Amino acid sequence: MRRRSSQGLGERLAPYVLLAPFLFTLIVFFGYAFVRVFYFSFTDYDLFATPKWVGLKNYLNIFRDIDFTLAMKHSLTFMLVVTTAQTVLALVLALVLNQRIRGINFFRAAYYMPSVTSSVVITLIFIWFFQRRGVMNFLISKFQEYRGIVGLFLLLAAALQLSLVGWEKLRRRPVSLFEPSFLFLSLLLSFIVVFSAVRFGLLTPREVAPVDIIWFNTTKKWPNFLGSLAFPVPLGAIMLFNIWTTAPTFMLLYLAGLQDIPRELYEAAAVDGAERWHMIRYIVIPQLKPITFLVVTMGLIGTLQMFDQVAILGGQAPRQSTITLAYYIYSNIFPSSATPRVGMASAAAMFLAILTSVIVYIQRKVLGEEGDHA
Amino acid sequence: MKRLSLALLVVFLAASVAGAQHIRIGGFGGNDTIIVEEMIELFVRPALEGTGITVQYEPVADDFQRYIINALSAGTAPDLFYMDVLWAGSLIQSGVVEPLNAYLEKSTVLKPEDIIPSLLDAFTVDGTIYGIPKDFNTLAVFYNKDLFDYAGVEYPNNEDTWDTFYAKLEQVAAIDPDIYGLALQPEFARFGALAFAAGFTPFNAEGKSDLSDPAFVEAIKWYTGMAETGVGVMPQDISQGWGGGALASEQVAVALEGAWIIGALKSDAPNLQYGACLMPKHPGTGQRGNFVYTVAWGMNAASAHKEAAFQVLEILTSPEVQQWVLERGLAIPSREALADNPYFQQDDPEAQANYVVFLGASDGNVLPFSFGSYGGDWTGPIDQALSAVMSKQATVEEALQEAQQRLDAVMGR
Repeated sequence: MRRRSSQGLGERLAPYVLLAPFLFTLIVFFGYAFVRVFYFSFTDYDLFATPKWVGLKNYLNIFRDIDFTLAMKHSLTFMLVVTTAQTVLALVLALVLNQRIRGINFFRAAYYMPSVTSSVVITLIFIWFFQRRGVMNFLISKFQEYRGIVGLFLLLAAALQLSLVGWEKLRRRPVSLFEPSFLFLSLLLSFIVVFSAVRFGLLTPREVAPVDIIWFNTTKKWPNFLGSLAFPVPLGAIMLFNIWTTAPTFMLLYLAGLQDIPRELYEAAAVDGAERWHMIRYIVIPQLKPITFLVVTMGLIGTLQMFDQVAILGGQAPRQSTITLAYYIYSNIFPSSATPRVGMASAAAMFLAILTSVIVYIQRKVLGEEGDHA
Repeated sequence: MKRLSLALLVVFLAASVAGAQHIRIGGFGGNDTIIVEEMIELFVRPALEGTGITVQYEPVADDFQRYIINALSAGTAPDLFYMDVLWAGSLIQSGVVEPLNAYLEKSTVLKPEDIIPSLLDAFTVDGTIYGIPKDFNTLAVFYNKDLFDYAGVEYPNNEDTWDTFYAKLEQVAAIDPDIYGLALQPEFARFGALAFAAGFTPFNAEGKSDLSDPAFVEAIKWYTGMAETGVGVMPQDISQGWGGGALASEQVAVALEGAWIIGALKSDAPNLQYGACLMPKHPGTGQRGNFVYTVAWGMNAASAHKEAAFQVLEILTSPEVQQWVLERGLAIPSREALADNPYFQQDDPEAQANYVVFLGASDGNVLPFSFGSYGGDWTGPIDQALSAVMSKQATVEEALQEAQQRLDAVMGR
């Protein structure tokens, strides 16, 4: 009897013992920190003097701060644009990489590269790319110089391809529009023609002034027709970049999800005469709903907390063009050469936590219920 | 028995602590690591032999201010640390920096009178001294002699006003579209010296910052106008991070920088023939303007070995060490007695540049590079305005209006 009860106790304790290491870090680094931040958000505290209780003053102050309203607007725009784009891109990438073609593992690894590389290093390289006299502007200038020639080359190749295919069709032979051997032939011929035209001076690149787009050091907004909803260009640059680095991780989740879809479903659909697009619309997307839920949730949380790329971009772009909520919190705790404003930062952090929970809750309601109906 | 051995252990530990006092010094990484390590090896260790005091330098590679705030708050800060005049005020206000008056009164080596008064004042609050300036810097006109020779233009000199200075830059810039007269850093840290010359002060009599002050507007128009005419260029636009880099690239004839540029030129452009002169005078006021950038040694108020730390501080600011720092061309030391130093009279571009920087601190409208408790938040809006105007995204009026709004927000916080 005694033995059994002690065994029962041990069994009941086992999960907690196994959970203990994780619970310990969770309580110390998240639970305790959260409670402290919650307390600090009601105080005036500079990291040195004893915190002074000020009630709700910090919460009122952050809403009066133009930087905070800007940061909130930026974070929400960033969340909407990046989450949508990265989810769609991840799904498309996963569909492309879920095929049986030669060397697929190489492509999977290559596409995953942006996600495994250190975000700090990539951001630095990205900053060099977008300098006023950087690679990006150089490439755009080159493109503008040569776009006539490149356009001619492509047009010629397309015309050749069409005539070759047309000729075969006239002779009633089955041929696809992108017949590889014809494609090779037309590209080669077109290249030889255009190259020799340039070589003998019949075609010359256009004279254009070097492109001088300011990517970071600008307060310009885009797109203009959105009026006050437009976002600053530097934030747009960060968005592009963030989509590129985060989509591959989600692609991996989608890939795993795709492999779980039973083959029979496709076969049954094929028997019913479904096209590829129908399969995606009626099999893949509904089957991937749980994965989409996970991807969107992680995307929302990740984008709302976006910090590192803004921090590294730092002085390269004006503060009001890149500031996000997470960066606002940081810049209040460590303001440049001034006294820390821990109270304000804590209030903003609490606000961000609540905002994140509310958004994820709404998302769960919307996506979760739709999922049940499907 | 157990209790006895425990007591013995405690006694032993206490004795060993009293015998060996370990002083930690916190400062910048990079060049400072080599300099301070060498300084400690050459001067501090020999002087402390037999006292049982050991010294260790702890360089911080990234954002020193953030580090020291964290460390002081957490109680892990070094005993002695660098304090930049820009943010020293907020640390002193927080009460974590030890007042040094009592130590200075007892000291036979280090007296407040020995230190250049304007520097010491920057670290003195209501008569209490919180930091001993270790060195300082001001801005000077650094110019590329070859470019001026090539253009056949007289070098800039101490008699230049904005007008004559501009005329010279214009002629040099005319050599080639890719050659510019002045490196125009979009920062108050450079431009501000010119605004001071015109008569601008960061805080007026009511303690407000007024960017519509005619002196400020005149200065910003003159400065940013050079970007428009191509007489000057922002270093960023020729892929350089700062004025020193621009000067080293030999695409720009003049940079307004401090003595810190000397070391950079030595390593990046060893063959560059350069000279230095005082900042140009404003034609109306007849004054020059300048910033004093200075870093002091501060003592941790929570240090366990304050007496020993002060002993180390005495050595670090001693005449011998300062002479060594000066001769190495590292910085301009803070002791007043060094003004007549034979080093300054040498016929050597480095020594002469250092002398110009030394003179800059006491000629015209000179203010420390510090903005009350606002710190870098105060200069941020102005930096953005400069950058917006010079990259042609806003007119001076638009940019100033925006900057004034942001500045009011910073100061009203």
